[in-house]
Amino acid sequence: MRLLIVEDDRRTGDYLRQGLAEAGFTVMLARNGLDGHHLAVSETFDLVIMDVMLPDVDGWRVVRALRDAGKQVPVLFLTARDRVEDRVKGLELGGDDYLVKPFAFAELLARVRTLLRRGAAPVMADRLQVADLCLDLPRRRATRAGKRIALSQKEFALLELLVRHQGEVLPRSLIASQVWDMNFDSDSNVIDVAIRRLRAKIDDDFEPKLIHTVRGMGYRLDAEEADGAG
Amino acid sequence: MVRGDRGPLSLTRRVLGFVALAVGTSLLISAALILAAVERHFAEQDLAELGVAHAAIAQALAEERTGNGLAAVLSNAISGHHGVYFQVEDAQGRFVYRSPGPDLSAAAGAFPAIASVRPQDLEIQRVDGRALVGVEGRALAKSGDFRVVIAMDAEFHQGFLGAFRRSLALIMLGTGAATLAAAWFGIHQGHEPLRHLSRSMRQIRAGRLSLRLDPQSLPAELRELAASFNDMIGRLELGFERLSHFSSDIAHELRTPLTSLTTQTQVMLSRARSAQEYREMLYSSLEELERLTKMVADMLWLAKSDNALIELERTDLDLQREIEELFEFFEALAADRNVSLTVSGSAPPIRADRGLIRRALSNLLSNALRYTPSGETVQVHLSREAGGVKVAVVNPGDPIPQEHLPKLFERFYRVDPARQRDGEGVGLGLSIVKSIAESHGGRVDVASHGGWTEFSFTVPVD
Repeated sequence: MRLLIVEDDRRTGDYLRQGLAEAGFTVMLARNGLDGHHLAVSETFDLVIMDVMLPDVDGWRVVRALRDAGKQVPVLFLTARDRVEDRVKGLELGGDDYLVKPFAFAELLARVRTLLRRGAAPVMADRLQVADLCLDLPRRRATRAGKRIALSQKEFALLELLVRHQGEVLPRSLIASQVWDMNFDSDSNVIDVAIRRLRAKIDDDFEPKLIHTVRGMGYRLDAEEADGAG
Repeated sequence: MVRGDRGPLSLTRRVLGFVALAVGTSLLISAALILAAVERHFAEQDLAELGVAHAAIAQALAEERTGNGLAAVLSNAISGHHGVYFQVEDAQGRFVYRSPGPDLSAAAGAFPAIASVRPQDLEIQRVDGRALVGVEGRALAKSGDFRVVIAMDAEFHQGFLGAFRRSLALIMLGTGAATLAAAWFGIHQGHEPLRHLSRSMRQIRAGRLSLRLDPQSLPAELRELAASFNDMIGRLELGFERLSHFSSDIAHELRTPLTSLTTQTQVMLSRARSAQEYREMLYSSLEELERLTKMVADMLWLAKSDNALIELERTDLDLQREIEELFEFFEALAADRNVSLTVSGSAPPIRADRGLIRRALSNLLSNALRYTPSGETVQVHLSREAGGVKVAVVNPGDPIPQEHLPKLFERFYRVDPARQRDGEGVGLGLSIVKSIAESHGGRVDVASHGGWTEFSFTVPVD
């Protein structure tokens, strides 16, 4: 997957490039709007991450020029200002998502993956499986090592989200938004507690452990222990 | 005040304009009345003199003389009247006598009849280059009636009247100017309290908002203005104080984590350490930074809300459903703390921003959960109040001391300052609840007694 980052802040740009490259993407970095536009037009990318405030040409204009040139590549806007009109403008221009600085890297990564998945045909499986954990989606049932695990509605939804994003780090805000439709940072550690209780049911009596805490970033469900980060 | 300024006329000009109009009008009216009275007086005098002359002539004619005898008698008849001319014709229109002076035949018919004349009927006629006033009359004699035309010089009276008009105009102008000057001085003096007020207001600035005007030192008309101004400064002072407290709170809230981040990093870098130790430090820094990020985001949100920049996306909202969904969200946390959640009462749907209402109620619920002892219940009660729909979140627990209650919704306010950093929030949760309620035109309340604490949130129903 090829990503183009257009970001003028040196540190942010460098770390985004490093982080996304380490997450397995091929990343190009442009430090101003003209270079970004040139790269986006002359090469093919799967996603453009576009800072709105650029020193030369602002992100809106770059994306408009891309659209005029017939490039339908998905765009994730980054901005320091969270204003409704900006949001509307971004969406009108065919921006596909919108992230307000400061954002957590895990959040960015999750959004990038979602955007890249969007186009692809959704997996319409009835069953999801990770190691010996098995989810029966139509009947909302979970079993591990053949044993039925009793889960509440929301616990099942949480587990399903983690399984569908197997191997990806999901930030707390994304979990709250996807499972409970709570689109704000909660004052309390609701997500941590919910994960802990889910873990007690899924992992406590079984091996290998599937739900991993990624400190400072979020949670990941995976059959294998990741390298050092967990 | 400033020339060319397009604002309304200055008060001085306004009042002076009215005074000038009033004084001018009254002076003009008095001048006109005086002139009319003087003119009438002269006219009466003239008429009386003409009447006397006419009587003398009529008497002379009644003596029935003829020829030189008649002429002698007639010339004597008015010997005492200077500047009086007359001429006499008999009934057949034959010329009988004319006094020396202008030829009155030229003005024949122009003078009013003495029998019916009134002073104001006397008009000046120009005869042989002289200004004359005159009358026509008849004199009875045995031999037949005579027609008599009598006139007298008006030059003298006209001259006097002209001079009188001029001096009258000068007197009026002088009086008018003096009155206006006095009025200007009076207005200027009258405005002195305003200038005083303005000087006092100028003393008040950002650092000295505690200064107030003294209404007692001002005239009655300005007291209300001063009182309103004092009220305004009072509100400003309060807002300003709050703002500067908020700023210093922000500085303080930021300084503590920044200090710990800096110190931690410097200590870690002071000598070589294992990868594990570096990783630990980075994690701990990250947690601190996330807290800071959340705080900045919350403060920005509050700042936007203060400036009415939050745009509500209102939809029809069923509060029962929202609360049930929030209970699902808090289900794990409540179970973990062994606290139950119940909802009671009912409320009609409201028009409100779903995301914001959820956020507000979520803050209230997490606050209630934090302080509820294990085994107890957090109750949410919905009711229809006069002010709209009320959502009360009630939890058992240690009562909050009364003196803290009014301040609980203030930014960064904590009942127990020592608990500042071990809690989960950043001390802005309840302020956000308040801002959300207010942006919907509602309000928040808190009460705590008898082992129960109730936070409520009221939103108007349209």
